[in-house]
Amino acid sequence: MALLNVDKVSKHFGGLVANHEVSFEVDQNEVVGLIGPNGAGKTTLFNCIAGYHALTSGTVRFNGADISQLKDYQVARLGLARTFQIFEASGDLSVVDNVMVGSFMHTGSRGEARRLARDTLEFLGIAETARSMMTELPVAAQKRVALATALASQPKLLLLDEVGAGLNPSEIEGLINLLQRIHREKGIALLLTEHVLEMVMAMSHRVIVLESGQKIAEGEPAEVVKDPEVVRAYLGDHYVKRQAKEDGDA
Amino acid sequence: MEAIKNAFDFSDLPKTELSLAAAVLVFLLGFPALPHSSFGMSTMIQFLAFSLYGMGWNLIGGYGGQVDLGKAQYVGIGAYTTAVMMIRWNVPFWFSMPLGMAFAVGWSFIIGYPLFRLKGHYFAIATIATSLVLKDLFEVWDFVGGARGLELPIKGDFPNWLYLQFREDYYYYYILLAMFLVGLIYVNGFRHSRLGYQLRAIKDNEHVARSLGIDVHWSKIKAYAMATAFVAAVGSFHACYNYNIEPEDVMSLDLSVLIAMMAMLGGAGSIWGPIIGAAILVPMKNYLGSWLGGQAGFAGMDLALYGLIIMVIAAAQPRGVYGIVEAVRARRR
Repeated sequence: MALLNVDKVSKHFGGLVANHEVSFEVDQNEVVGLIGPNGAGKTTLFNCIAGYHALTSGTVRFNGADISQLKDYQVARLGLARTFQIFEASGDLSVVDNVMVGSFMHTGSRGEARRLARDTLEFLGIAETARSMMTELPVAAQKRVALATALASQPKLLLLDEVGAGLNPSEIEGLINLLQRIHREKGIALLLTEHVLEMVMAMSHRVIVLESGQKIAEGEPAEVVKDPEVVRAYLGDHYVKRQAKEDGDA
Repeated sequence: MEAIKNAFDFSDLPKTELSLAAAVLVFLLGFPALPHSSFGMSTMIQFLAFSLYGMGWNLIGGYGGQVDLGKAQYVGIGAYTTAVMMIRWNVPFWFSMPLGMAFAVGWSFIIGYPLFRLKGHYFAIATIATSLVLKDLFEVWDFVGGARGLELPIKGDFPNWLYLQFREDYYYYYILLAMFLVGLIYVNGFRHSRLGYQLRAIKDNEHVARSLGIDVHWSKIKAYAMATAFVAAVGSFHACYNYNIEPEDVMSLDLSVLIAMMAMLGGAGSIWGPIIGAAILVPMKNYLGSWLGGQAGFAGMDLALYGLIIMVIAAAQPRGVYGIVEAVRARRR
């Protein structure tokens, strides 16, 4: 059985349909990409899965349990962690303290939480920043700390919302390696949305394409990019027609 | 067991701070032996009391970032529990104080549950409102003496440890100093506890906190209840020390604001902040107040002056005096 099962999920904000009957699954050992043009409803779908928004209709199952009615923090406790697009650094806590907030999810012991936090920082290769304050770090490092905090809560599935945003190409490459290690060595399933298509294409076993709140395609990355529907969604009707005409001429 | 170890673990604080704290502790322990006026002694007792109020406030206001301007209602609950029980049923302080804390904590759950649905300024305003409503109720409630308040009977038999009645102020001083040390150790344990970490995460960003499995609403209520217990305990002490309480004295908005102000001035969210704040503001309030109040035409100027000092500090360094210390240390590194 799939780890995450999204079944005909719809989310309306008043008259605006942000998601319409979206269905897909994520398996335990999968990396799944969620792509689509701006405003396609990717973040809303994330928020629906993670319990931030109440669903208008549909069900979300996680690890066999129906989580559609649960609150965000209850969903998190079941092992569904997430990162945020906009990450605000903290003034009061050092890096290791921040990560400890994540590890405190499953332990009440400070020693245990600290050990887990240090292990996680080490795993992500940022152990040397442990004692720094968050505000002293560059953005890329802050994002790694946010990732470490989510990881320290020992999730089964990690939802990554635009983790590559604002990073330069070499940082993105480093991030891809890191996420692949998280997936392989920790056995955590990943579901990621990304504007940086290159990243999704390089990592995902399967890609789901959203447009105007609906799923328009699903498949392996190489297939999906050739799908005329997807090309149309990203590049517009004109491009598709012109392309078809050129193909006909040739 | 680990909780106790955490409470006594000060090792994460810089050595200079710890040596300074040790020096202050020696001074506090020895103060009654030094030559001092009775005004000096009562200023020191007020300093300890406000440090404790501030430590309590700091749990929710500092670590949790929820600005609470209604702490006086819990001073009142503590003070009135002790006073009423002593007057009517001869209940000793050591029994009425924990009971007062329990009443205050119970009340904090009742009003904390709806209040923490509010955020930021709205929460602050609501805490003021609940505190004032409770004060108004006490002013018209005959059972607790109404607006005239209550006078505690003198039990005699000095030094009377049971009812906390002493001829010499240093008894009160040492009892409060003991409470101060217990409070400090408790806050240190809180800082290292799961709830302490979670609250700081909540202060940063509630969405992120929730994504880490934290029940934000319940965490705030719990911390608010702990903060309340501190304040109520000192309220009980205040009733015995003062022999006389009235709503205008123990439940006024002035007191609530003063508690919050001292913690913020010293440094909200740091263990030393409330103590630093009380060490600055209490003597200033007392000495400046009595000096300026004595000059014709200058009455009330002291209030304006310390208002001004707080504005300057808030503009220059929102994290208070302790924030300045930290900023200097960061620059030296």
